[in-house]
Amino acid sequence: MTTHYLLRSRSEHLALAFHRQTILRCLLLLVILLAGFVAYLCIGSTMLTPLDVAVGVFQPERSDHQFVIQTLRLPRGLLAVLVGAGLGVSGAILQQVVRNPLASPDIIGISDGAAAAAMLYLSLMAGGSIAFLPPVAMVGAGIASMAIYALAWKNSGVLPIRLVLVGIALAMALKAVVTLILVMGPMSTTIQAYVWLTGSLYGAGWQDVYGMLPWVAGFVPLTLLAARPLGLMGMNDSHALGLGLAVGRYRLLLLLCSVALAGSAVAFAGGIAFVGLIAPHLARGFTGRTMPGLILGSCMTGALLLLLADLIGRSAFLPQDLPAGIFVSAVGAPFFIYLLYRRRTH
Amino acid sequence: MRRTSIMKKAALSVAAVLGGLAHADSVTIEHAMGTTTLEDTPKRIVTLYQGATDAAVALGITPVGVVESWVEKPMYHYLRDELDGVPQVGLETQPNLEEIAKLNPDLIVAAKMRHEKVYDQLAQIAPTVTHETVFMFKETLDLIAKATDHQDEADAWHEQWDARIAEFQNEVSGLDSIDWPQKVALLNFRNDHARIYYSSFAGNILNELGFERPEAHKEDVWGVKLTSKESIPSMNADAFFIFITETDPTVVENFEDWTSHPLWNTLDAVKNDQVYRVDEVDWNMAGGPLAAERMVDSIFEHYGLE
Repeated sequence: MTTHYLLRSRSEHLALAFHRQTILRCLLLLVILLAGFVAYLCIGSTMLTPLDVAVGVFQPERSDHQFVIQTLRLPRGLLAVLVGAGLGVSGAILQQVVRNPLASPDIIGISDGAAAAAMLYLSLMAGGSIAFLPPVAMVGAGIASMAIYALAWKNSGVLPIRLVLVGIALAMALKAVVTLILVMGPMSTTIQAYVWLTGSLYGAGWQDVYGMLPWVAGFVPLTLLAARPLGLMGMNDSHALGLGLAVGRYRLLLLLCSVALAGSAVAFAGGIAFVGLIAPHLARGFTGRTMPGLILGSCMTGALLLLLADLIGRSAFLPQDLPAGIFVSAVGAPFFIYLLYRRRTH
Repeated sequence: MRRTSIMKKAALSVAAVLGGLAHADSVTIEHAMGTTTLEDTPKRIVTLYQGATDAAVALGITPVGVVESWVEKPMYHYLRDELDGVPQVGLETQPNLEEIAKLNPDLIVAAKMRHEKVYDQLAQIAPTVTHETVFMFKETLDLIAKATDHQDEADAWHEQWDARIAEFQNEVSGLDSIDWPQKVALLNFRNDHARIYYSSFAGNILNELGFERPEAHKEDVWGVKLTSKESIPSMNADAFFIFITETDPTVVENFEDWTSHPLWNTLDAVKNDQVYRVDEVDWNMAGGPLAAERMVDSIFEHYGLE
């Protein structure tokens, strides 16, 4: 039995088994993520050495680059990590709960709910403070997902397939609302709206990081605690029921986690699509042998994906600083196709 | 004891007043995002929207950093000579904060409509003054003039602008060929739809010149998008000013498509032969005082005045 690390208390009241390969690979992913983060802090209009970065992060008052590191790159990089992590985990949960590899928050209507609410706010409250945009978007995501859940309800339960179909239908309806607002709305808000819909980490400050942190710090561990039910959820309902799982209750709990993570991510970074779909797929082949591995893997892959996309957006076309949303697919899609191709030939 | 402390306070307040006098140069500006005090007259200015770049040049100031133009990238042709070699700091919608910081400016001119989210960060780089929108060219000019102590230049500009407007009104009312005041419509064609502009940069200037709008175009909104050729009759007016992106073949094709529709020939302006093609930069994209002048010049030309 060398595949697991075993942890037992002396009287065996507590015994834990950790899948060895998952742990090693998660650690490797963490190292890559940290390296990516250091690179993110180094690269930009002003190229910094890792030493400059270290001084700037840990002793800002002694650094010549305090503004660039402390005010611009550090909060923006941290927000990219948090948003990417939130979207990755949100997608992993959804794909497992609805047993469909195509599910993701931007396909079944959660992101669209947030987008529609944000667009309504931008067009109706012309001149209103954009500080209220995150809570408004979050409320939109919440309402949309409640509507999906309620509409998918049938005979005292929610079937995954109904959830997907209702979600897609509602997503389309909400997209129509967004398009209508864009067409009818004044020119001034249209440009603002397009930038928001593309998804951007531009101008991220510490208040955004502190706003996003509790959601990730709260709901990712909660998802990890529910990893076992989430694993069982992947079977059909009667098997999961037969194994003693309170399917309905856990489905609601896990969907809640997914909505909270995706809703907060969209609230702070706009309509960044694709991360939620692709991060779990990228993680599955690498750390996905176990359910906690899949969750942690999706978390870190999502973070890495968005971090890289934003790094490219803000430094590949200098002096321009382009929205990260443009590059998520540019980074993720080729790698995704490569993975599918490799699996096919095996 | 008490007395001395009062004396001390009095002395201090006198000193404060004197200190304030010594800093007679300092200007306090109330703007769309707050109040900004400038201790010294700024010399290194970064402009973050097209109209501000234009206004700075109009005042004889060369900015140290500007944002990319919407068309004729990276900078409108009419500003290229004055802005030769001036560094770009990215897009108007998302200017690169690191590039701005590197330029070490002492004044940033931004617009709340575009830069509300990054105002705090901009203000950490340099004192930042903002306008609510991006197309109110006179207010933009005054804002920059006040911040940079170019009040005389701004006054001179306003004076010659008012004179130019009066000149037009004087001359156009003497024209026999048209029935003044004319009702005009401002049209724009994109590659998949057409637009009528109501209250916009050019629309406001047309009104200032004395042009009127058709009843249906008087709404105080930016304008309307038309997606079906059936709505062509709603464009109707005595004269049309049309601007399109001439360099985009799909736009030109759509323009020709709309204007070859039978309904097009039923419009008054077409029947009167008063359809004028005008420059989209001067009329819509630039939004500054120099562009406004160029726009008025082109109207003089189209009406055969000078």
